[in-house]
Amino acid sequence: MSKYSSERVPVSRVRHLSPNYHSLKLGPWSRINECRPGQFVHLGLPDSEIYFRRAMSIAAVDTGSGQIEIIFKVFGRGTRILSGYHKGDVVDVLGPLGVPFTPPRQNETCLFVAGGVGFPPLFYLASRLVARGRDPETIEFFYGGRTSGEVVERQRIRQLGVRFHPVTDDGSFGSKGLVTEAVEKYLDGHPVKRPRMYACGPDGMLKAADDLARKLGIPGEVSLEAPMPCGFGVCLGCVVPLRAGGHARVCKEGPVFQIGEVLL
Amino acid sequence: MKPDLRVTIAGMEFANPLMTASGCCGYGEELAEVFPLSRLGALVTKSITLKPRLGHPPPRTAETASGMLNAIGLANVGIDAFITDKLPFLEKQKTRVIVNVAGSSASEYIEVCRRLNDCPRVDMVELNVSCPNVDEGGIEIGTDPLQTEKIVADVRKVFKRPIIAKMTPNVTDVGIVARAAEAGGADAISLINTLTGTSIDVNTWRPRLTYNRGGLSGPAIKPVALAMVDRVYNCTRLPLIGIGGITTADDVVEFMLVGATAVQIGTALFVQPDAPVRIAKDLTAYLREKKLHSVTELIGKVRKY
Repeated sequence: MSKYSSERVPVSRVRHLSPNYHSLKLGPWSRINECRPGQFVHLGLPDSEIYFRRAMSIAAVDTGSGQIEIIFKVFGRGTRILSGYHKGDVVDVLGPLGVPFTPPRQNETCLFVAGGVGFPPLFYLASRLVARGRDPETIEFFYGGRTSGEVVERQRIRQLGVRFHPVTDDGSFGSKGLVTEAVEKYLDGHPVKRPRMYACGPDGMLKAADDLARKLGIPGEVSLEAPMPCGFGVCLGCVVPLRAGGHARVCKEGPVFQIGEVLL
Repeated sequence: MKPDLRVTIAGMEFANPLMTASGCCGYGEELAEVFPLSRLGALVTKSITLKPRLGHPPPRTAETASGMLNAIGLANVGIDAFITDKLPFLEKQKTRVIVNVAGSSASEYIEVCRRLNDCPRVDMVELNVSCPNVDEGGIEIGTDPLQTEKIVADVRKVFKRPIIAKMTPNVTDVGIVARAAEAGGADAISLINTLTGTSIDVNTWRPRLTYNRGGLSGPAIKPVALAMVDRVYNCTRLPLIGIGGITTADDVVEFMLVGATAVQIGTALFVQPDAPVRIAKDLTAYLREKKLHSVTELIGKVRKY
């Protein structure tokens, strides 16, 4: 079977995390064992008015039940329709697609920088690292949102045992300010041995994270999002400019890029 | 007996009438990971220009009702890199190879086609005289019958295998331009390219594409494409290749009934990468059900009122 064969998969569980954030579990899905943190699925919404697929990062994988979880925020028509899906509804899943995160070396400390809806792939990465035996206290999990309601799934993050640093713009939960400011402030007061950054979030946050990492000489990766008609490299709709010149396709060369690689 | 899907265009046989549409399958490498390219009648490459082109800055696609707008801007590696880096892969594929050619001047089309003439595995060229997404060349040529005739005639002198002229729908009468291409020596006509369109973000008041407008494709344009194939079928003798929103085997049948010998599948590839395989299977089932021995029995057989 080609890796680009799509599969009709039932929605197995729906959770509404906040008015705007929703979680769908999908499965059983035959490709579950191929998923790596940082990859995405391209979801078709059969029998809807939505023509294109929607790229969704994978938030969790349950190999036992064959289910993946996606967590998304309602932005437009596609996510609005998806947020109304019920258990038993069917989506058309293509994937897993894209380049995954590079796992950290054993002696590195992970700086996770999540902003809003950039949280899911980092949650999946943290879960996987912890499940594979990494000491959760070597993961500094910074997670920022505009308000308290934008920092979802706190309990699940805490359950991982990672060092959780919630941040909100308005100070309604965690520390007040921008998530990247919180990272910089933390590093000022707490020298971290061999840091490695993993960032995912809105464009402005990603740029700030990328700038900070380059300023401090921290290696790592950023995960990007882009409008993506095809998801497998042929349409050239999702390109981003590279610092070295030229373009890269977010769906094929990404969505995970090295710090400093993309002109953000 | 299994119905025969083979079709012939300009004396050249194709395993089936299903081709990819230019710009929707790159240079075939990614699509070959989806299904063996031998399942296609032909692979049509994205447009090749003389020099490499980076294309327009993102965002350069936007979703519309039953379709999409794109202003990729003919991003491609250029003819030199195409011949050295991309063609060797295509040469190994058991399918017909059609190279789509674009340019900003007549001399550019001629030079690219001259070089392609030296590549025997390139079965045909398709002249993109109809791209709405570049500032120079492209659609300007394709809307002018005289320029279209001249550019086909000029390419005819340097490219010795069949030439397809790809029509823009952004004209008053596509039949006139098609006849001009025929007069210039084209061996086949493909139609339609995308329709010019745009879309505005009501929150930012900005167009959704940095190029401000783009080409509309997908199921939204199928009725327009069908009418234009019908028009050209009735005013030229050339074989036609239908393009525009083809997603199912029924769509293929519709295009063939109004006169297409083959079709190209474009935007549907983005939604279902294996669309041609699925369509071929369904087309075979359709022919069986209608008790037809060959897909060619459909061509031009629409029963008009």
